[in-house]
Amino acid sequence: MPRDIPERVSTRRPWILVAAVAVTVASGAMAAEPPAAPPGGASGAAPPAAKPAANAAPRKALPPGTAEKLKSGDPERITAALEDARAAGKGATALASEISGLLDRGLSGSLAESALQALGEIELQTSTPSIASYLQHRDPKVRTAAAKALSRTKGPAAIAALRHALSDSEPTVRSAAASGLGILRAREAVGDLALALDHRIVEAAAPIGQLCNVDECNDFLGRLGRLPFDLMESGLDPILFRPAAEVSEDTKANVIGRVRELKTNEAHKFLESVQKRWPAGNSPRLKTLIDQAVKATNRASGS
Amino acid sequence: MNRLRFARRAIAAAGALSLACGALACGGALTRSDLFSSEWAADHGQGVDAVRRRLAGTRPAPGTDVAIGVGGNGDKIVAVLLDSGQRWSFVHPLDSRPAIAGQVVVGSGGGEIFCLDARTGNKLWARPTGGLPLIGAGDDGQYTMVTLGRSAGARGSTLLAVERDGDVKRQIETDKEVGVPAVVGGLAFIPWGRQYVSVFDIVAADEPARILFRDQVSRAWTQGGNIYFGENSVYRFDERIKDAAIERASHVMLPARELPGTPLLQPPIEERPKVVATAHDRVRMYVRPSTNVQTTSATASAGAPAAGAPAAGAPEQGWLVVANSRYYATYFRIIMGFDSSRGGLSWVYTHPAEVIAGAAGEDGFLVCDEQGKVTFLSARQGDPLGERDLGEPVKSCVVQVDGLAVRGGRPLHPLSLADELAEALRVPNPELATGKRLLVREIASLDDEVATKALVDVIADPAMSPFVSADVRTALAARRTGARYMLSALERHYDYLKNVLVPPPVGPIAQSFAAMNDPSAAPLLSSHLLDPVTPEQDVQEAAVALTTLAGPAEVPALKQFFTLNYASATTAPLKSAVVSVGQILLKHGGKDGRAVVDRAIASKLTAQDVRDKLKELYEVVRVAPASAPVTPPKK
Repeated sequence: MPRDIPERVSTRRPWILVAAVAVTVASGAMAAEPPAAPPGGASGAAPPAAKPAANAAPRKALPPGTAEKLKSGDPERITAALEDARAAGKGATALASEISGLLDRGLSGSLAESALQALGEIELQTSTPSIASYLQHRDPKVRTAAAKALSRTKGPAAIAALRHALSDSEPTVRSAAASGLGILRAREAVGDLALALDHRIVEAAAPIGQLCNVDECNDFLGRLGRLPFDLMESGLDPILFRPAAEVSEDTKANVIGRVRELKTNEAHKFLESVQKRWPAGNSPRLKTLIDQAVKATNRASGS
Repeated sequence: MNRLRFARRAIAAAGALSLACGALACGGALTRSDLFSSEWAADHGQGVDAVRRRLAGTRPAPGTDVAIGVGGNGDKIVAVLLDSGQRWSFVHPLDSRPAIAGQVVVGSGGGEIFCLDARTGNKLWARPTGGLPLIGAGDDGQYTMVTLGRSAGARGSTLLAVERDGDVKRQIETDKEVGVPAVVGGLAFIPWGRQYVSVFDIVAADEPARILFRDQVSRAWTQGGNIYFGENSVYRFDERIKDAAIERASHVMLPARELPGTPLLQPPIEERPKVVATAHDRVRMYVRPSTNVQTTSATASAGAPAAGAPAAGAPEQGWLVVANSRYYATYFRIIMGFDSSRGGLSWVYTHPAEVIAGAAGEDGFLVCDEQGKVTFLSARQGDPLGERDLGEPVKSCVVQVDGLAVRGGRPLHPLSLADELAEALRVPNPELATGKRLLVREIASLDDEVATKALVDVIADPAMSPFVSADVRTALAARRTGARYMLSALERHYDYLKNVLVPPPVGPIAQSFAAMNDPSAAPLLSSHLLDPVTPEQDVQEAAVALTTLAGPAEVPALKQFFTLNYASATTAPLKSAVVSVGQILLKHGGKDGRAVVDRAIASKLTAQDVRDKLKELYEVVRVAPASAPVTPPKK
C-alpha cells in the first residue's frame, strides 16, 4: 500500500467521516434502509453525530444591543457582537442582513472571519453572495471560513462558489469546499469531486460515495488500487450503506468484490467494520459476500 | 647562424639523457632538452620560409573523420566512422583520454602508449612509457609525434617520434611544457612555452624554424590540408606566419561576447585530457578555420579586405576565414551557433543529452554526447541532420572532422530563434541558471513578438529557477511587442485541479501594457487583482498600471478588490495597491466609487498610512468626496 499522501490526510479523516454522516443523515435518504450503526470506517468507533456537530451545541439567546454594536464601527464592539450572533445561530437571523452589509463594506481579516462564521451559524441563504465574494480574499483563513459558511447557507450560488474553491491554492480551502459540496448534496459536483480526489483532496471521497450514480460509483471504484486505500475508504463506506433505491445491489457487490481483491490488511479491516455494522436482515446476498470477503482478506493479509 | 649552431649542438648531445631512457623503450636518438632553449635567435622568418619551401607540394594527409569515446569501465575505446557509421572498439587500460591524430588514434594506459588505425581500430604499435600521461599526438602517416607529460607535480615533457613499425625515431626530453604537436612531411610542429612553435626535423634532429606568437599557443593540428596553431584563437601556417611575432599572421579571433559558462576554444594545456569528461568538455567553443579565395568575412586574417572585395593581396592559400561564418558553443545540453563577424546568436539547439565533445566541420557542427551519440547539426540553422552511434554511453569523447560533408536531412520542426531559446530555457537543470540568464537576455534583445511568447511560455514553467524567472520578468516588463501573447497569458489563472500551478507574470505584463498605453489588458489585470494567488508585488504593479489603463468597465472588480483589502492590507505592496485602486475608483467610479473610498477613509479598520494616502488622492484626482457636491477639476 503506498504511503505517499501527506500526514494531514490521516489527521483529517475523523472530521470527514463526521461530515459524511452529517450529510447522510441530514438528507433523509437513508430512511428506507437505515444502517444498524452509523458508518464509522474501518479504523475505529462509530462517530456519534446524528446532526451536524455545530448544531448540536445549545444556542444562546442574542443579547440586547447586539445590532447597535454591529453598527458601532468600533472593532472591539463588532467582534463581540459577531461572537454573540455566532453563538445565537439561527436566533440571530434578524442580524444577517447587517452582518452581510459589514462584509460588503469591508472588514479586517479577523473580523471578516468572525462575520463569516456568524453567517454560517445563522444559515440564511440570502447571505450567500456576501460570503462567496470572500473566497477571493488574500487570507486563506478567511477563504476557509467563507467555504465553511457557504456549506451552511446553501443554495445554487453556494454550490457554484464551492466548486470553484476546489481549485484554490490553499489545502484548507479545498478541503472545506469538498466537504461543503458533500453537505450540500451537490450532485452536479461529483465530477469535480472525482478530479479533486485524484488531486489527493481526501475530503472529496465521502461526498462522491454519498452522491454518485451507477456510472460515477463505478468510476470511483476504478481508482481502487491506483489511489491509496485510506483516501478512498470514506467514499466506499457510504456507497455500501446507501439505500437500494440509490445504489443497486450489484454496485454494492462490486464494491465488496473490488475491496476483497486488494487482499490487504486495510481492506480486511474495512470489510470487518462493514460486517459489524451491516443491518440485520439487509440483503442476505451482500451479507454473504461481505462475510466471504472478510474471511478471504483475513487469510490474504495474514491478519 | 645561431639557429644552425644550436641545432648541431642538440644533435651532438643526443644520448646525454640516457638515464631518462630507463622508463621508456628508447629505440631512436635521444635529443637533449635545450632543443626548446630560449637562447634561440630570431632569423626574421628565414627558417620559416625554408620550411615552407621544403613543404611546397606536400599537403597534410586528410584526417580520418571519426569519433572515439571511452567506454566500458574506462578501459575501452569505442569508435564510429562518421562517413560510414562503421564501428570498432579496442579494449585496453586507459589513464588519459585517447587522442586522434590524422589517421591514427593514440592511447595511453597500462604503462604504455599505443597507436591504432583510426579507420579499423587495428593496433599499429605500442611502446612502454613508465606510466607517463599522454598529452597529445600528431601524425603524418609516417611518423607519430607523441607528447607525454610528467608525473603529478613534476614539470617537463617527453616527446616521442615513432615510426609506423613502432620504432622510436626520436625521443626528446625537456623541462618545458610542450603542447600537442602536428607532423607534416617529417617535420613536427611542436608548441611549447605557450607562445612558441618549434619546427623539428624528425630525421635530421634539427630545429630549422621557430615561430614566436604574441598569443597563447599550445596546440598544432592539420585540417583541410593546412597546418594550424592556437589555443584561444587560430593561426594558419602560411607565408604570413613568420610575422606572428608582430601580430600579422593569418589568424581567426572570435568576437568577444558573453557566453554561458565562459567556454574556451581549447582548455589550458595544463589541464590534461582526462578519461572522464569534465565541465570544460561540456562548456566549450568550437570553430572551423577555412579558406576563402574570393572574399573574406569580417573576422578573416589580418590585412584582409572587406567582404565582397577582390582577392588581391590574399595569401597563397586564400584568406583565412571561419567556415560558414559560424562558431559554436556548447553548454551542457544547450548548443549555440554564433555569427562569427559580430558574435550574434544565430541559433540554439537543445540536445537530448549532455554534450561532452564536438568538432566544427566545413558545413556544420558535430556533437558527441554522454550517451555515445554523435549528432550532425547544420551550420546555418542548427538543424539535426543525422546521427552516428558509438554503441554505448561514453565517459569522454573526441571527434575529428576533416573532409566530411555535413549535409542532408531537413528540419522536422523549424523554430524561430526565440522558440529555440525558450526550449533551451526549459532544460530542467537548476545548475544551468547562469547560462539560462544569458539566454533570457538573448531573447529580450529580439524585437520579434515571438520573443514575447517565448518569455511568457518560459515563466509558466514551475521548475524555472527563481533567478531566471526574475530576469524573465524584467524582460517581459520591457516588451513592446507581442501584446496578444501577454493577453493570452493573463487569461490563465491558478487552478489546482487543472494543474495550472504558476500564475502568469501579472506585474511585468501590466508594466508593459502601461508603457504601451494599451487598455486591452485592463479587464484581465483587474481579474488578477482579485486572484488570491497573484503575488503582492504583482498586485501592486498591476494596480499602478490600471491607474492609466482602467476605465468604468473595471470599476466593479476594482471595487471588490478595494473592499476586500483596504481594512486587511498590512504589507507595503498591498497598501500601495489599495491606494492605486482607490485612485481609479475616484476617477471612474462615480459617486458610488467615491463613497467606497470615503468609507475606507472614515473606517477605524483602515491603517493610518492608507487613510492618509487615500485622503491625498482627492488632491491628485481633484474630485470631491461623495458627500460633497462634485466640482469640475481645476485646469
